[in-house]
Amino acid sequence: MRVKYLGVLTLLLASNLFAANVYEWQLPNWIPKPIVPQDNPMSEEKVELGRHLFYDKRLSKDESIACSSCHIQKKAFTDGQAFSRGVNKKFGVRSAMSLTNVAYLPVFTWSNPQIATLEVQSLIPLFGEHPVEMGMSGQEEILFQRLKKDKVYQKLFKRAFPDEFKEGEGALYSLSTITKALASFERTLLSFNSPYDQYKYGGNVKAIAESAKRGERLFFGERMECYHCHGGFNFTDTVSHTRLPFPEKGFHNTGLYNLDGKGAYPFNNIGIAEFTGDSSDMGKFKTPTLRNIALTAPYMHDGSIKTIKDVLKKHYAQAGFASQSPKGISPLRHELITGFYLEDQDVSDLASFLNSLTDQSFIDNPKYSNPWIKLPSKK
Amino acid sequence: MHKIIITLLISFSIVNSNFVRAEDKKIDLNFHAEINGQVFKCGESYAGVGKSQSEITPTDFRMYISEVAFLNEQGKWIKANLVDDGIWQNQSVAMLDFENGLGPCRNGTSATNSVIKVIVPDQQYSGLKFVIGVPFPLNHADPTVAKAPLSSTALFWSWQSGYRFIKFDARVKSANVGLGGDEHHAKLHNAHQSHQNSNLSAVGYSMHLGSTECAASSSTAIPKQCKNPNRVAVEIKPFNVEKNSLVIDIGRVLKQTDISINTPQTSPGCMSFPGDADCVSIMDNLGIPYDGKSPSGIQKLIFAR
Repeated sequence: MRVKYLGVLTLLLASNLFAANVYEWQLPNWIPKPIVPQDNPMSEEKVELGRHLFYDKRLSKDESIACSSCHIQKKAFTDGQAFSRGVNKKFGVRSAMSLTNVAYLPVFTWSNPQIATLEVQSLIPLFGEHPVEMGMSGQEEILFQRLKKDKVYQKLFKRAFPDEFKEGEGALYSLSTITKALASFERTLLSFNSPYDQYKYGGNVKAIAESAKRGERLFFGERMECYHCHGGFNFTDTVSHTRLPFPEKGFHNTGLYNLDGKGAYPFNNIGIAEFTGDSSDMGKFKTPTLRNIALTAPYMHDGSIKTIKDVLKKHYAQAGFASQSPKGISPLRHELITGFYLEDQDVSDLASFLNSLTDQSFIDNPKYSNPWIKLPSKK
Repeated sequence: MHKIIITLLISFSIVNSNFVRAEDKKIDLNFHAEINGQVFKCGESYAGVGKSQSEITPTDFRMYISEVAFLNEQGKWIKANLVDDGIWQNQSVAMLDFENGLGPCRNGTSATNSVIKVIVPDQQYSGLKFVIGVPFPLNHADPTVAKAPLSSTALFWSWQSGYRFIKFDARVKSANVGLGGDEHHAKLHNAHQSHQNSNLSAVGYSMHLGSTECAASSSTAIPKQCKNPNRVAVEIKPFNVEKNSLVIDIGRVLKQTDISINTPQTSPGCMSFPGDADCVSIMDNLGIPYDGKSPSGIQKLIFAR
């Protein structure tokens, strides 16, 4: 008995020794751990700094927009808009993506196959000029000045980046630290506690309605083929994690547009063809996760479809939305986008299933909320 | 003790890279930015620019230079080493910056740089060549930890990944304004809230040069090359190291393009993307192949004076 107890104690001590290096992901046991860039290991301190930066409007040129302006927690970190406005009041051209489980993505944004880390992705909204989002291009020194004079940040940066702190202010308040902290916070935005998860993995057969169970069968069935692209634990074929030897990336043309009879998409939204220069890549966009999909309307990369039911009825069931346009069905659409017959009952069952992927604990999690909002004092 | 030795070694190597040996000499390459022969200056306006003979007010003008070499008397190109000053130049790339952060250039920096400092073997030279652009490995390295002059977010080309090799921006005064990219897009999506440019008498014009279509052969690999590197090769013969300086005249590049309009369904101005009618004559004037067509001649942007 005593020996056993000692053993446990030793284990506890050992795990405490490692605790400084090992970040606790707090994942359900059926979910593998995400991959984190080697030069940016997770730490609670970086996450806390990143959370403050994420909710800070000082990261935009005129201090009017934070990351959280377009990534709102209650909308699963989208903004409910087809296009978001940048600091110059002009609209972008794609819909803000959900940040649900971004830790499991090997590639970021709707259509840029080159953005492989969240650290580098964050440069696009911060410094991009076409379109302008946060408008900080060329203003990095102003940004560092804004941050370093704030007492809250002085403490947070020092804790999050002790090595850079020793190197001095230039290293401590830098693009490297800011982007690393933002990425660390974003990697904590984990959502695996939807009613569907409780039903499927938690053994709670009553967690979802009967209609959702019928919808599940349709979703994973061969009539609709949804799961071929929206499969796996994150409901997308774009995934990386520690048990997967190679990242998987899914970019597909779903036949949304066919402007010229040859499958053309609007000029400023041609998908990964913009980067590959391959005309057969026209209209290929990354498969988004379907987790929390009920919260992330409007849908598609350009927010062109307003409801889940229309996505099902007017887009996928019709072999792509373009089938109803003058030029008809897109010749470039993915081979599994062939259209399917759909009863009204099927639509509501599928919608019920997709609704069961909404994770209330994710959008209510206080750890993801705005840390700058002071709680009312009890005095 | 170890720390001291390491520090000494590091400082020695830094000094060494910029050290002018007895058999070397230092050369300052002086650049002058102009628009159709007039000195470039923030706050000035320039008439008669482009095919449209538009009046423009510049708001930015910066570029990257790399791979400097000189032609010696034996007809051999000798590579020059850039002096690493920690600000405008590292050992691989230098930035020229003609905007001073004032007036219409207010988004820029107050410091400017029109000199590139190099070290070469002490010989006689009769020619000069260099590249406008950032060498491929640096262009696709992690920008969050890049060293100056590659740390300037103004030159980041975040969406394309890489840097803008040339960034020239201006306001164009013109009554004849076509539908720009953004306006057209708003029309395409008129179901969504549309927006209009309220100030149609002065619109922005941009000429941004950078590499495009840099994705690897498969969409799952890291880019190993760009289909359109869009680096400008500049070769100047003869070039007198003691007497000549270099003139960069953006007016010569814009000469045959109508900068008062933007071809619908393309980026504003010319942002190097394929299939943009506004880029055809510009790329030709830069001596760059564009949309599968070889340039008609060498670059016309830079010449010796």
